[in-house]
Amino acid sequence: MDRTLKRRLEARLGTQIQGPIRQRHDQTEIRIQPGDVPDVLRTLHDSVDFRFEILADLAGVDTGESMQVVYHLWSETSPDWLRIIVDGISREDPRCPSATFLWTGAEWLEREAYDMFGIVFEGNRDLRRIFMPPDYTSFPLRKDFLLPDDAARSPGEGVRHVERPYAPAVVADDPAAGVRRAPAS
Amino acid sequence: MPARPTRPTTRAARAETRGETRPQEPRPPEQHRSEDDPRIMLDRDVGADLYEPIPPYPTRTEREGEFYTRGDGEMFINIGPHHPATHGVLRLVLKLSGEQIVDVDPVLGYLHRGVEKICENSDYYHVIDQVDPLEYVSSLFQEWAAVLSFEKLMDVEVPRRAEYIRVLSGELLRVASHTLYMGFLALDLGGLTPILYSFIERDEIVEMLAALTGARMLFNYFRIGGVNGDLNHEFMSRLGDWMSRAARQTEANAGLLNENEIFVRRARGVGVLDRATALRFGVTGGNLRAAGVPFDIRRAHPYSIYPELDFNVPTRLEGDSLARYLIRVDEVRESIKIIDQCLHNMPDGPVMAKLPRLLRPRPGRAWGACEGPRGMLGVYTISDGSDQPFRFRIHDPSFLNLETVPTLLPGNLLADTMTIVASLDPVLGGIDK
Amino acid sequence: MAVGDRGPKGAKAAPGQLAPLAPGELSAPIVVPNTLWRAANPLAYDGGRPAEITHLREFGLTDAGRRDDARWGALQIVPTRADYILDLIRANSLWPLLSGLACCAFEMMSGATSKFDMDRWGMFPFRASPRQSDVLIVAGTLTTKMSGPLIRLWEQMPEPKWCVALGDCTVSGGRYKRSYSTVQGIDRVMPVDVYIPGCPPRPEGLIYGMLQLGQLVKDQRGHWPEREIGPTVPDKI
Repeated sequence: MDRTLKRRLEARLGTQIQGPIRQRHDQTEIRIQPGDVPDVLRTLHDSVDFRFEILADLAGVDTGESMQVVYHLWSETSPDWLRIIVDGISREDPRCPSATFLWTGAEWLEREAYDMFGIVFEGNRDLRRIFMPPDYTSFPLRKDFLLPDDAARSPGEGVRHVERPYAPAVVADDPAAGVRRAPAS
Repeated sequence: MPARPTRPTTRAARAETRGETRPQEPRPPEQHRSEDDPRIMLDRDVGADLYEPIPPYPTRTEREGEFYTRGDGEMFINIGPHHPATHGVLRLVLKLSGEQIVDVDPVLGYLHRGVEKICENSDYYHVIDQVDPLEYVSSLFQEWAAVLSFEKLMDVEVPRRAEYIRVLSGELLRVASHTLYMGFLALDLGGLTPILYSFIERDEIVEMLAALTGARMLFNYFRIGGVNGDLNHEFMSRLGDWMSRAARQTEANAGLLNENEIFVRRARGVGVLDRATALRFGVTGGNLRAAGVPFDIRRAHPYSIYPELDFNVPTRLEGDSLARYLIRVDEVRESIKIIDQCLHNMPDGPVMAKLPRLLRPRPGRAWGACEGPRGMLGVYTISDGSDQPFRFRIHDPSFLNLETVPTLLPGNLLADTMTIVASLDPVLGGIDK
Repeated sequence: MAVGDRGPKGAKAAPGQLAPLAPGELSAPIVVPNTLWRAANPLAYDGGRPAEITHLREFGLTDAGRRDDARWGALQIVPTRADYILDLIRANSLWPLLSGLACCAFEMMSGATSKFDMDRWGMFPFRASPRQSDVLIVAGTLTTKMSGPLIRLWEQMPEPKWCVALGDCTVSGGRYKRSYSTVQGIDRVMPVDVYIPGCPPRPEGLIYGMLQLGQLVKDQRGHWPEREIGPTVPDKI
């Protein structure tokens, strides 16, 4: 819990931080608007008293009402992890500026957030799906994408046979129906 | 003694002496040039610009378009997803000009199992089990990161004996993982022997951990607030056996490759990852330390009992594949030192904090990170007050380590592909989640 | 009527029966004159001289070719089909395809290396190319994206080929049963011969499964296309 970090952040980024700076255990958390992302990140990365040079993580989050992008940074100047929550991204048209101008490594992390949530990162030169096949149409980690249950059909399951989680219903009562023989060829 | 007149041996020779020669078969005219043969269709005749097999869909992004436009004399070679290299199902599309690599496009996702989504529907104990197969080679570190995050979320204090056991088992698994790394690096370069030595070491360590945890690979041993079971006699006896020859065995295994001129010449100077590039990519772990940045979470942001342990953080300045390999060898020696200290200073006490069966943490967010064999494993949990995490995000180090491949590979020859990819030590389970 | 037991010398053969032959008597070969085919060049093939098969005459005068080897005496059924021998050959040298997808691949590799040596049963060479392998050991979770390449690998393998599902994820989907991107058991996409459960199964378990596969191969007696493949659980479950 680094009090000096809190004071330095408030002094430097005063207006851009939304709400109070929360600190718990060894983490400091600030919230910003999507429009402020390039400025805040550049300040934290470049300025001499912050020097948050190591990008630890870039995650997407889908709260029920909005989407968030969460950055975790680390610096030698502070023993705390800094968490930057970019809140207020709409769920219908999620957009967020890209962090690839500072960290090239953010490119794949943003691709993953796009693949899982649909968050479009403006400025990312390579925003395509990274995990799912390129013709996949859903965004799996959204809250309205339900995992298939044994009882219910969920909109999340795919159309292709390999994506069906349950076995197709077999009407025949033939006891040998389940036993397949190799095709005689 | 005069030579006896011999009868000619072969039938053709005898026929020749009789005066009958076999008639020569008529030779067909020289018409074997593929350019002239009308049955062979070359790409230019078919109109190869009409179809591009890689990718089968139109390119959508700037970088994809830049990659998939072929220059003069360039070709696409596809490595994977099934290939003899043992890192997993990774697909590399290489753009080659002759033997030299111009560009690389790694394609991931062949092992994406949806772990994060499954974890959102599981309670906290099951999450620890689900998170094991991500980096299956060193699964205790996945559990450690998850458990660190949960303990911060729930304000749980871990007993000291449990911390010591965690460090002990973690460092043992780090030794196993690094030994395997050495074996796989050699295997990818064509050496078939070191992998057998690596697997002997790994099997020993893993049998030890099986005596402790019950399983050989996906241990499911750490719990929120401690570990699942105390040390037992079988584990201690196997550990004692192993420790008595660990140092010498490590030197012997390392000597298989360190003194091998072919390996050293193939790895030195290849795939140089310099300090600025490594920081820009967010690379952590041995790859970052080989680039000259002494960032080790155990020292930079200590967790567990690492502040009390005496070990060095090996750092090298070259940043090439050989440096990445040598760092791992150094880390094995450090880990053996740590194991030794743990064994000597092991305190008594409980191995797990008392926690309710049904865990319902307060709403909040927590980030926990530990130093795995490949780098920083981070877990970000959001709790909404129920018994299932609202969002469970795993940050895997191999993901960003692999992202450096399109920067490191161009300019090198095709044979250096495996050197560079193997020296970064990717584990596709963690990359693809 | 045992082999070698012919009737008295000179007896006539009934139509459709073997001509009785006295022991020691050589039967004359039946020569069919060649009227069907003529070589284009009359001097080729040495002008059509008959072959000089001289070595079999001496062999035929001994009874080495007619002796019933005592080794087969214990078996009730004398193996006369070459397929049985071929099955023995195949069972003792099943070459796996190096198809390790995830964690189970490590137990497969452990099973192939020094401590649990699969080379004792001839399974060491893990071929990288599907064209050279017999068994596809699917070790690790099969995802929908990987199912295409894996099926292509399976189709590229020459017959006879077998498939072994190693680990819970390939048997039934395992711990990823509710996931959106895994195939719930590879028997949805390819025919499986042996299922090895476990997460991951111990290398001894893998070896047991491979030996069961060898037993399966030997039981087939050459009828590879009609083998029974899983799942044996009815589809409704």
